[in-house]
Amino acid sequence: MATLTDRYIFATVRSLRPEVEADVRAELAASIADAVEARMEQGEERATAERAVLTELGDPGILAAGYADRPLQLIGPRYFLTWWRLLKLLLCIVPATAAAGVVLGLTLSHASLGEVIGQAWVTALTATVHVGFWTTLVFFILERSGADAGPCWDVDQLPEAVENQPDRHELLLMAIYSALVVGALLWDRFRGFAQVDGQPVPVLGGQLWPLLLAGFIVLLGFKLALSFISWRQGRWTVALAVANTVGAVAFAAFTLTLLERQELINPDFVQQAFTQNNVGSDVVHILAVLLGFALAGFAVWDIIDGWRRLRPGLKTRKSLNGRP
Amino acid sequence: MEELEALDTHLQEVRRGTVVLACLQLLQRADYGYKLLENLAGRGFSVDANTLYPLLRRLEKQGFLSSDWNTDEARPRKFYQTSAAGMLLAERLTDEWRALSSAIASLTGKEL
Repeated sequence: MATLTDRYIFATVRSLRPEVEADVRAELAASIADAVEARMEQGEERATAERAVLTELGDPGILAAGYADRPLQLIGPRYFLTWWRLLKLLLCIVPATAAAGVVLGLTLSHASLGEVIGQAWVTALTATVHVGFWTTLVFFILERSGADAGPCWDVDQLPEAVENQPDRHELLLMAIYSALVVGALLWDRFRGFAQVDGQPVPVLGGQLWPLLLAGFIVLLGFKLALSFISWRQGRWTVALAVANTVGAVAFAAFTLTLLERQELINPDFVQQAFTQNNVGSDVVHILAVLLGFALAGFAVWDIIDGWRRLRPGLKTRKSLNGRP
Repeated sequence: MEELEALDTHLQEVRRGTVVLACLQLLQRADYGYKLLENLAGRGFSVDANTLYPLLRRLEKQGFLSSDWNTDEARPRKFYQTSAAGMLLAERLTDEWRALSSAIASLTGKEL
């Protein structure tokens, strides 16, 4: 019948290399026996002495790791930061790109909304798991193989100085941008970027052109207002970020609805430019979907940018003393 | 409670290096695992068994100890003894210890 000592020794040596195993077994057995005898001389029972000695020796896994010089960690301090930074970078890029690709592909092949959303989630999740697993595995192997510590940090790798102060240059740019967009819309309508037989064919807007113009003016005015408020306040706040998100969602909803109802791009223009030149309706559909994705992507980027501006910027002496 | 834990950690840090030196010095006369453990405890070096045994093996692998199996008694025991390289290391460590000791003495202004 196996005693506690036998079981303990078995648990310790079974993960050691065969050349070391016999030696460790013999030495450990002798040491345990010595310790038990010493306790018995002090009046303890054999059973309790054995228990006490083995408890004091502790988890045989840890003891074995000590014998084998094994690090009891997945990724040690040497590689941890490198692994963590790489993982963060990959997790920002890969699952989003994979999901976007899947959504684009499925939309182009006329899949239902439920299927698109379902597949997108599954793809993003799978991508995340894969990225996490393979990155960790690579660094696990890197550490065990005793490779060189890799890229050393040097001063050039410091993060760029980004002062997150809303200033009047930004406000001015926003105003100019808004004016340009409205101007482009008007020019397109009345002067025309595209010309057929000397007649201007508007690119944007179908029958609901006034609605399109009004919508754009409202949305741009809203963004301009946000810029103005953040300039007056001297900083970007959570409230502004939320408002920005709402504005971006409104923009996306507005333009995508118009696109779907064939009110965004002038159907006449489509006919003149594409259909009459024997471009199939399939291609037109694909172009429409791509445009929709571009508009959605633009909105998403705006939302992300709105939240990123909340991050505390670099504080230089200049920015701490007041507005630049 | 946290203070006690912090104290424990710092005490451990101060003691950590001394066990190697103590082993190298004591093993000038060959001895085996459990006896050495008792010896160290008796001389004021508190070590856990699960720290000492792997440590002896590591020092042997690094060449600072030599080992021999003694089959005289009923229970065969592995005896360790400090090698020549081990003695050199011990001297080096002792010098370092003395230097640190006098450095601390000069900091505190008392004799240590």
